[in-house]
Amino acid sequence: MALFARKDRIPIPPKDAQKFITVCQYCTVGCGYYVYRWPVGKEGGLKPEENALGIDFTKQGVALQTQSITETMHNVVKGEDGKLYNILIVPAKDSPVNRGNYSIRGGTNAQAAYSPTKPTRDRLLYPMVRVGDQFMPVSWDEAIDLIARVVKGVKDKWGPDSIAMKVYDHGGSGAGFEENWAVGKFFFVAVGTRMLSIHNRPAYNSEVWGQRERGVHELNYTYEDARLADTIVLWGSNPFETASVFYTEQMLPNLQGATVEEKKKEYMKGEPAEPARMIIIDPRKTSSVTVAQSVAPDRILHLRPNLGTDYVLANATARAVWEKGWWDKEFVEKRTDLKTFEDYKKKSLMLDVPYDEFMSRVERLTSVKREDIEKAAEWIAKPKAGGFRRRTLIIYEKGVIWGYKNYDTIAAIAQLAALTGNYGKPGTGCGRQGGHQECYFRPHDKSRAKLVGSIYAGGPPPNIDEYVKNDPRAKVYFVSGTDPYLSTPNSQAYKKRVHERTLALTRYLSEQAKLAGEPAGSEDRAKRILEGLEKTSGLLMVVIDMYETETARDAHVILPAAGWGEKPTTSINCNSRLLRIYEQFMAPPGDAKPDWWIFGRIATRMKELYEAEGNYEEAKYCAGMDWKSAEEVFLDGANEFPDNRVSEEDEAMLPAECYKGVTYEYLRKVGQKGIQTPVRIDPKTGQLVGTKRRYVHKFGTPDGKFKWYGTDPWDPDPMKFYPPQITKYFQDGNDKKFPFWFTNGRSQIIWQTGYNDRHLPEKVYTIPLPYIEMNPEDAKRLGIKSGDLVEVYNLEGNAIALVYVNDAPPPGMIYGTMYHWKGSLNHLTTDYTDPKTTIPWYKASRVAVRKLKGNLEDVLKNTSLLPINDFTT
Amino acid sequence: MFMTKISRRTFIGGSAAMSALLTSPELVKALTSQPYSRVKVANIKNLRVGEPVSFNYPDKDSPALLIKLGERAYGGVGPDGDIVAYSSLCTHMGCPVVYSKKRFLCPCHYSMFDPAKNGQTYQGHASEWLPQIILRLEPRTGDIYAEGVEGLIWGRVRNVLKVTKK
Repeated sequence: MALFARKDRIPIPPKDAQKFITVCQYCTVGCGYYVYRWPVGKEGGLKPEENALGIDFTKQGVALQTQSITETMHNVVKGEDGKLYNILIVPAKDSPVNRGNYSIRGGTNAQAAYSPTKPTRDRLLYPMVRVGDQFMPVSWDEAIDLIARVVKGVKDKWGPDSIAMKVYDHGGSGAGFEENWAVGKFFFVAVGTRMLSIHNRPAYNSEVWGQRERGVHELNYTYEDARLADTIVLWGSNPFETASVFYTEQMLPNLQGATVEEKKKEYMKGEPAEPARMIIIDPRKTSSVTVAQSVAPDRILHLRPNLGTDYVLANATARAVWEKGWWDKEFVEKRTDLKTFEDYKKKSLMLDVPYDEFMSRVERLTSVKREDIEKAAEWIAKPKAGGFRRRTLIIYEKGVIWGYKNYDTIAAIAQLAALTGNYGKPGTGCGRQGGHQECYFRPHDKSRAKLVGSIYAGGPPPNIDEYVKNDPRAKVYFVSGTDPYLSTPNSQAYKKRVHERTLALTRYLSEQAKLAGEPAGSEDRAKRILEGLEKTSGLLMVVIDMYETETARDAHVILPAAGWGEKPTTSINCNSRLLRIYEQFMAPPGDAKPDWWIFGRIATRMKELYEAEGNYEEAKYCAGMDWKSAEEVFLDGANEFPDNRVSEEDEAMLPAECYKGVTYEYLRKVGQKGIQTPVRIDPKTGQLVGTKRRYVHKFGTPDGKFKWYGTDPWDPDPMKFYPPQITKYFQDGNDKKFPFWFTNGRSQIIWQTGYNDRHLPEKVYTIPLPYIEMNPEDAKRLGIKSGDLVEVYNLEGNAIALVYVNDAPPPGMIYGTMYHWKGSLNHLTTDYTDPKTTIPWYKASRVAVRKLKGNLEDVLKNTSLLPINDFTT
Repeated sequence: MFMTKISRRTFIGGSAAMSALLTSPELVKALTSQPYSRVKVANIKNLRVGEPVSFNYPDKDSPALLIKLGERAYGGVGPDGDIVAYSSLCTHMGCPVVYSKKRFLCPCHYSMFDPAKNGQTYQGHASEWLPQIILRLEPRTGDIYAEGVEGLIWGRVRNVLKVTKK
């Protein structure tokens, strides 16, 4: 008897099963999938000519060749026609991204689909309005009217900035260009607020202005570059766990030498083509490090800097490149702005400081040895035999994006790539690994509020977490497609304050109901709410999501959102900007609706209300959102892209996401091959052309040159280097009270807050609780074993976690999963944000650890506690 | 069809009936859908802790590994409850897993499975846990029999490819 019901056979799709094209709903990689759908009760045969897959099921499949089909890839769902269907969702063998490979997350795409008889029945079905401590289901008309009246009332009385939001800006997870466009049009135009924030952070900002303001969008390489690079640099990224298939399907073959023939085709004549080297910069010995070491131990370099010192390390690597004369003089002179280069040399490379002195300061601050920094410089930039330049692909992610001094760190890495000539050629590039897929496109030009960039471009943007926590001018708070009670930095303090403020409004409404009864209908209810917002410091919260999230428990209105596969949508992945269609193959649960429909309806109702009072000016801003289909939204957005009938060179000036000219029909036709954005319309042929690799000819600046930037000065003394949020932990005896560094990240097994995973038995048994990893040295000293429960705490908050003892974190450092449905370790993050960008520093704080008495028997019995970063046999 | 065979046993619910069935070969048929045969795969006298024994089950094209773990395992048989067996085809893409350091490791994409915990994927790409093979120990002779498989063997849509009539 297994721990949960297993299957030893699954239904076979018959020959006439419907086939839909889609892309995985989870991570940045965007693996291609196919959905086979056929009526319940029907089944195909075992012989190849009897089933839709054309597979001979009378024989055992062949490893790595036969289509993978697992128990988790089948489910029974309701179609748009109300009938029950079998679905089989399998990784596409003809997708260039995954070639039939899939991850532990994507393999559950079918299992996670809504089914009234399965654990995923927990989805939200109907709009709900809070009455006291209960949620009451209402119709869409009622809910939309209520929200439209409240938003309009608040806006009219207190101005648009009284309306705040925290909404996704990504693709995947059920969102796409359609949802993003609708969100943008609603908040930028219909509402016109500047109090905006993005799902995983306190403000509305790019996470990588440090690169963008150099003239480089962060998605510039193509997945083939991971197969073609001489050296792959992973900076603060752990792709084996967080971009799994990109790592095993594209990077590992390069490390194994399986792509040498591909290299020979792309490289110059006589240029050496060898298996790749890999440099990984991460304080933890992650599984991305140990898997690579088990493949090619001699070609892996692992640098483990002290937390938050990455920009110094990136500049030091560049300085070593400079000293050794390995920089790409031709590239720098031709492709970059030589005026700002002087600033870079002075401030980032610190050429005024003698090299030995410079390096000893770097060693003191970062704890990375000079010889390792010089080895990294060599692997990145020392020309190959024959004088050919090394081709280096630098991929970075949250380890640095969410590090100390976000702007300077990202700029330092982007500039290391420019100094070594690693943009725009096969096997090069420097950009994000990505977390989600992308599809950010919103009407910036039409925004009624002034949207700002970094401190160098009118910014930084306001911190909306602080705004909704502390400023009574914040009256309405929309939260959609995110669960900030788990995910925002310093989340314990955040949720306590948001709870207090939402409760203040709820209490007022309950008091009034005692006197005058509950309001009759949405018009009365809206009036009562507006009164409450005037008379209290309360906050009205609207949550739009697939599930009743942790945050939703304090909402006043909850709206059920349609998810992946329940509506057509479109997105690009991060490793090649590959645009594909995600077709609808089932009905949303209950009355759940796509977000574009929800925001469109609220805007349209606001328009009617403004028209009714003769305010045609305001009504105008709420117009044009009465969309009838997803494709209508997709095309509405397309209209706002700049003219893309431009030459190949001018792709550099197009938005990274530009898809003007693309239709759903086109995407269905190109299927898994998709098209790489930015899409151009060839001025000669009129045909749509994708962009394989960006910045081959010029950068995205008015003169086409890469713009340099001189990073901030730094002090090698940690007390002078770190901000007060950290140095407070070294003062007044706190160094003894909170002896550990704390950093956090994701697990391969679960996706984000586990909104789907928390319903899947495999995931619930394997990751039953939030967890920490502790080095064996520390564990021995504290008498802590794998499977123990501990309290992790500091001056910000506390959390309970399960312990895994392994050597991923160095001694003196605790690593924790960032959040889990049973608790958030973001309680422990400080409120530091980069003053240049308002990007938080999730990745470092100081903590203490206290062992709890006793254990949870179920966890000890059923959860594996083996070390996840040991791949040796 | 197999469905009718199952339905004879769907009354299972009472703990008395359950414990009676636990010792009965009939139980396997009640909890799995396929017509598995009963095959002798090892004898307890020949097992050493940490030394896996290869066999094929339910047929010659389905490799499996039996292991005496040296610690109590989920679904384990024997006096120490530490003998378990699993399909040795990685549920991810079908590569043969190897046993080492108390776990199964796939050399193709580095999934790792814990044999003490029902074959759970505790690291790696495999969405589904390794299928565990139901074992029964004949105390008198020490023979260990495979009697069924819980979970889908990779490369198949049903675990038993050909039904052989007895």
